[in-house]
Amino acid sequence: MRPDDIQAIPARHPGRWIAAAAVFVLLIATAYSLTTNPRFEWSVVGEYFFSVRILHGLLLTLELTVISMAIGVVLGVLLAVMRLSHNPLVSGASWFYIWLFRGTPVLVQILFWFNITALYPNIGIGAFSFDANNLITPFVAAILALGLNEGAYMAEIVRAGILSVDEGQSEAGAALGMSRLQIMRRVVLPQAMRVIVPPTGNEAISMLKTTSLVSVIAVSDLLYSAQLIYSVNYRTIPLLLVASIWYLLVTTLLSIGQFYIERHFGRSATRGAQPTPLQRLLDRFMSARTSTRPNL
Amino acid sequence: MSDIMVQAEGVHKRFGNIEVLKGVSMQVARGEVVCLLGASGSGKSTFLRCINHLEKIDAGRLLVDGQLVGYRQVGERLHELHDRDICRHRAEVGMVFQRFNLFGHMTALQNIIEAPVLVRKMPKAQATLRARELLARVGLADRGDAYPNQLSGGQQQRVAIARALAMSPKLMLFDEPTSALDPELVGEVLDVMKSLAREGMTMVVVTHEMGFAREVADRVVMMHQGRIIESAPPEQFFGAPQHERTRQFLSKIL
Repeated sequence: MRPDDIQAIPARHPGRWIAAAAVFVLLIATAYSLTTNPRFEWSVVGEYFFSVRILHGLLLTLELTVISMAIGVVLGVLLAVMRLSHNPLVSGASWFYIWLFRGTPVLVQILFWFNITALYPNIGIGAFSFDANNLITPFVAAILALGLNEGAYMAEIVRAGILSVDEGQSEAGAALGMSRLQIMRRVVLPQAMRVIVPPTGNEAISMLKTTSLVSVIAVSDLLYSAQLIYSVNYRTIPLLLVASIWYLLVTTLLSIGQFYIERHFGRSATRGAQPTPLQRLLDRFMSARTSTRPNL
Repeated sequence: MSDIMVQAEGVHKRFGNIEVLKGVSMQVARGEVVCLLGASGSGKSTFLRCINHLEKIDAGRLLVDGQLVGYRQVGERLHELHDRDICRHRAEVGMVFQRFNLFGHMTALQNIIEAPVLVRKMPKAQATLRARELLARVGLADRGDAYPNQLSGGQQQRVAIARALAMSPKLMLFDEPTSALDPELVGEVLDVMKSLAREGMTMVVVTHEMGFAREVADRVVMMHQGRIIESAPPEQFFGAPQHERTRQFLSKIL
């Protein structure tokens, strides 16, 4: 601090203190309940947290999430580009797809794919025909339902991203003799990523949780594995806690991954890289201490 | 090889019901520098964009280096060109935009090598070497690794010029290249354009920089309401304008 700097008495904020006190009381009450209510059965939670069946379920949930999201992203880009096509049939087809898959509940779609064999007992033409029952296992049905549904949502996200890129960028590419495909791939999509990534992170997190719906077609994901265990030992709450904590852990990991991906695609837009959460926390701590931050 | 680089005959362009170009006819000789002047809405930018087929013309004929823009003539009939051929045409005509339009996610150097590598299939090492030469030429040898938003407007526009030159164009189009710049940055861009003109590049420049037009242009063309109303060498154009509308325009701007 320099000798000429203003040394004022900080303004008082009694409202903030009251709010903080209320939050503190609630925190204590929650912590008290969590630790003293024996029905949480934390020992059972600990017992099953790393059990093989739960871990198998977790692995399956992760597989479903990754594969379905991959299908969703690829399909989404394709549908978004189709939607922006000058050919009315091509853009109309994309519109129809989005309308159909966004307009029906994903749970219904899961059940539909699971029962698709009732509609098409054989898949293929002539000699290359397969029994649909062998082809569409519950896992495949789950992947199809989640991936195709996700494609519809991703299409809208990608389209918003493409439209967010200034038209001058495409024009500059065209003026250099680049083809429409080259412009899309090299100029527009990379810049659309800044708009596409944050909602896609949301979608991935949402997908992780939506996969729990596949328990209705007896795919032994994380939730269904927990259900199978508590249907035998009746420890319902602890096993739901096991599943919930795993969902929370993976969601947290996904959020951290999302942050770094956003930072990567934002690097040309911000001067220098954004601070990481740790740096931000330190900054806030330091500025609160020295109170150089203006009160907003 | 023809001595006429750009030939326009009665070019018309409509946007919906609004006719923006109402029969523009002009020629630009190889090596000539032509400045297009006119109030906003006079159609000068639209005409420029027609030359590399960013806009499709509705009537008339437009040729660049003896080739129809956007069409192929078979007998009496015109056939629309395939996208691939349009791209080939555009690759030979450089364009510089008012708002620079540098690719925001690429460094200055990447901006310059992108099209030569992608469109001309030039080896990356060779393209990089050439890009460094071009950056040095526009006075930005040390800014190759900067992203566009780390550069001033004048620097961005100079990179944009280098990017267009990297394709070795036979014709350069400038669409108000200094209109979005702070006044003290205009000079550095004009200097690059002047040196380009001295080296014999054929240029069509839409501009409000009268000093540039007077000093560099071989011919100054005045557009008004979608038509060319006056076309003369700069001494005559600025010294003794023939058309009433030109006199009004010049009195306001000089």
